[in-house]
Amino acid sequence: MSEAYSKAETLALRRKHIGPSCKVFFAKDPLKIVRAQGQYMFDENGEKYLDCINNVAHVGHSHPDVIKAAVKQMELLNTNSRFLHDNLVQYAKRLTDTMPEKLSVCYFVNSGSEANDLALRLARHFSGHQDVITLDNAYHGHVTSLIDISPYKFNQLGKESKKEFVHVAPSPDTYRGKYREDHLDPAGAYAGEVKKIIEETQKNGRKIAAFIAESMQSCGGQVIPPAGYFQQVAEYVHEAGGVFIADEVQVGFGRVGKHFWAFQLQGEDFVPDIVTMGKPIGNGHPMSCVVTTREIAEAFGASGLEYFNTFGGNPVSCAIGLAVLDVIEKEDLQGNATQVGNYLIELLNEQKRKHPLVGDIRGVGLFVGVDLVKDIQKRTPATAEALHLVYKLKERHILLSADGPHRNILKFKPPMSFTQEDAKFVVDQIDALLTGTHTNEGNLQSDCLGESVSHINGNACRQENGFYTDNHVVPCKRIRT
Amino acid sequence: YIANQPYQADNVADKWPVHVHSLSTAQAGVQHRELPTAVGHCHPDVVNAAHEQNQLLNTNSRYLYDSIVDYAQRLSKTLPEKLCTFYFLNSGSEANDLALRLARQHTKHTDVIVLDHAYHGHLTSLIDISPYKFRNLEGQKDWVHVAPIPDTYRGIYREDHKDLVAAYANEVKEIIEQAHKKGRKIAAFFVESLPSVAGQIIPPAGYFQKVAEHVHKAGGVFVADEIQVGFGRVGKHFWAFQLQGEDLVPDIVTMGKPIGNGHPVACVATTKEIAESFAATGVEYFNTFGGNPVSCAIGLAVLDVIEKEHLQAHAMQVGNLLMELLNQQKVKHPIIGDVRGAGLFIGVDLIKDKEKRTPATEEAEYLITRLKKEYILLSTDGPGRNVLKFKPPMCFSVQDAKLVVDAMDKILTDMEKEGACEPVRDLQS
Repeated sequence: MSEAYSKAETLALRRKHIGPSCKVFFAKDPLKIVRAQGQYMFDENGEKYLDCINNVAHVGHSHPDVIKAAVKQMELLNTNSRFLHDNLVQYAKRLTDTMPEKLSVCYFVNSGSEANDLALRLARHFSGHQDVITLDNAYHGHVTSLIDISPYKFNQLGKESKKEFVHVAPSPDTYRGKYREDHLDPAGAYAGEVKKIIEETQKNGRKIAAFIAESMQSCGGQVIPPAGYFQQVAEYVHEAGGVFIADEVQVGFGRVGKHFWAFQLQGEDFVPDIVTMGKPIGNGHPMSCVVTTREIAEAFGASGLEYFNTFGGNPVSCAIGLAVLDVIEKEDLQGNATQVGNYLIELLNEQKRKHPLVGDIRGVGLFVGVDLVKDIQKRTPATAEALHLVYKLKERHILLSADGPHRNILKFKPPMSFTQEDAKFVVDQIDALLTGTHTNEGNLQSDCLGESVSHINGNACRQENGFYTDNHVVPCKRIRT
Repeated sequence: YIANQPYQADNVADKWPVHVHSLSTAQAGVQHRELPTAVGHCHPDVVNAAHEQNQLLNTNSRYLYDSIVDYAQRLSKTLPEKLCTFYFLNSGSEANDLALRLARQHTKHTDVIVLDHAYHGHLTSLIDISPYKFRNLEGQKDWVHVAPIPDTYRGIYREDHKDLVAAYANEVKEIIEQAHKKGRKIAAFFVESLPSVAGQIIPPAGYFQKVAEHVHKAGGVFVADEIQVGFGRVGKHFWAFQLQGEDLVPDIVTMGKPIGNGHPVACVATTKEIAESFAATGVEYFNTFGGNPVSCAIGLAVLDVIEKEHLQAHAMQVGNLLMELLNQQKVKHPIIGDVRGAGLFIGVDLIKDKEKRTPATEEAEYLITRLKKEYILLSTDGPGRNVLKFKPPMCFSVQDAKLVVDAMDKILTDMEKEGACEPVRDLQS
């Protein structure tokens, strides 16, 4: 499909026909992309960009094996799951083989949002309860039920937006959160917060259906919960009759290197009751999955009412899912994630020693965050600097995004084909830019304030003003209107 | 399962052979009657478009690329002018959920009016507005109001009523008044343009307009769910809501199922005004996979095929013939109480007796089981599970229509000879 319009024309047509809530990266100078391959994207002028954002293109943009599997199946059959088909059962088996044994039943859906909504339905049905505990800064999806449990979204809508059946626990962020790296037992302390919430809600006569958490918070700022946290939380939640939902939509499929699923970082003794997955699962194809225990699935089935998802589990999606699993294995992408991820963290740690702007480096595999601070002691988020850096990196043909509640954390979650060379390239550029900012301290703030910056993040976190009016100046502060 | 077996179908405008796929291990050449794939299973144009785009780029809509705006433009040309703003998603359920969010944000109200037996999707929010589901699950929420379905065959006002439109629309008016008395405010009237799960219902023309009038007065919006029935299926028009009359313009239209011929795509079309209310919250709407280049390429290809192969006209032609044949069967077999439809969206209401119109549930079940043995896939629906539902791929031919009706005729004749359901038990064993 050839690109027929100039970038300006494309943009004009978007303004005319696409809902204004749908934002583009770099509103002041959006990127038009016409082609992508591996970990690279190409704009309309053939300029190549290194993509450090797109975890959705898990095995690399336009991977030939995945494309082949898709077209082969498309030519044969694409229908719904009310008919028997081998792809569905093969895929379900392959997926559950990657999971702890009791997580053995799959529901196939089309998006992370559908998966998390179904997870909620499963939890409520199983427990007979309504209330949900979620983490601060969590984001679980855009459908009504999930906005309700995503403080990342509902906080923007005003204080009254938190529903009474939703309870927000402090995010287990040991760099910036309530209990930090110097605490004796952050896992225990954070889990204790959940216990407190459960006790409060029970006092009010409310009952917990589920605790839901992204295995590693992405919107929340690349937060890696301390090991043991999930186990203790699960204990309290189970005692209260609720279930543990691990949202792997951002981070599953070997990204963390050491394990296939990020929740496995918590320890071998930790098994969630429900796991949701999405984004990377089909390398960009709209598909998603919920895996749970037989017990929970049977309780849901016992209602007698069918669960039917028109497109979920169709043969093409399953063929694609299988191909993605094959590539992950064949190309040892998990091994690559560990190797390149470790190297990247090593390089970034050197930068941390060198540049006071870099407050913290945290990550595992190819999920890394660089927390930029104005002040090492106070850890004041360097929001403006982060946004400035991201814009400058784009000029150098590197796509990176910033996130966290203060938009000051550089987020690495590139396609898993990312190499050591790529890592070195990015860090060298960051180094050059950060070195530059030391000498041009004054310019950094004003540059950023003068820009109408768009949200540059790879997942559905923030928005900005100024989409329609490029002249509108947006101060780089936390508050979104 | 066996791979595709092409066969030549009459009556399709182009010489492209219809590909159908067998799902039984025994036979090739099984014909799908049921599924709402728009242009026929595995249509090569659609597959090619997908494949070509897959090789180039598949990324998210935060980047600029042409296919999304091309697609939005093409869709807008099929719709009334004021429906010019689009959101792309992956499923009808996501689309209806967004429609709810748009309606609530725009009107600042919460309550929703739906029709009895409606089904709008499987998400939590949509189970809440789908009597078809919630009656058996969580029950009706206090912000949901259920209006009688405008079913002129089986509903509270029937074909002999003087003014069906006014009567049914008045029911909605009363609901609004009741809600207001309780201090509640209506955000939306949500309706499938042709209720499918409720039994292939064709609302009387003018009903939507009257309802829209009442709903607008109450500060709510009109949401037309075209997920089952859009894209030319009704023959006469591209969208089923257009059957109501040219003066009916919904505020929000949701589309899904046939839109990508099986690829997970969906869409919400609305007015600039509503879109801007939504944007005014400042909260971004981002759908990871929605509007990706491959989905858009597929959507465009489907629109191309519908146009190139004149599928809309075809639907009207074949649909009319099918209705004619079925009406002949109605005269012949007393079990057929009603035949209703538009284009390739047809329902055959089976009854046990003419006066009471008692749903012939077991008989319907028996009939489709027998049809499956003849390699014809048909389904039943409606609260009495007694309405045979035709909504085949749009390449459905005159030959296919004759084949099905002949098979039905034979089986119904058998059933009348043997006395209904005895054979059911034999078949099931």
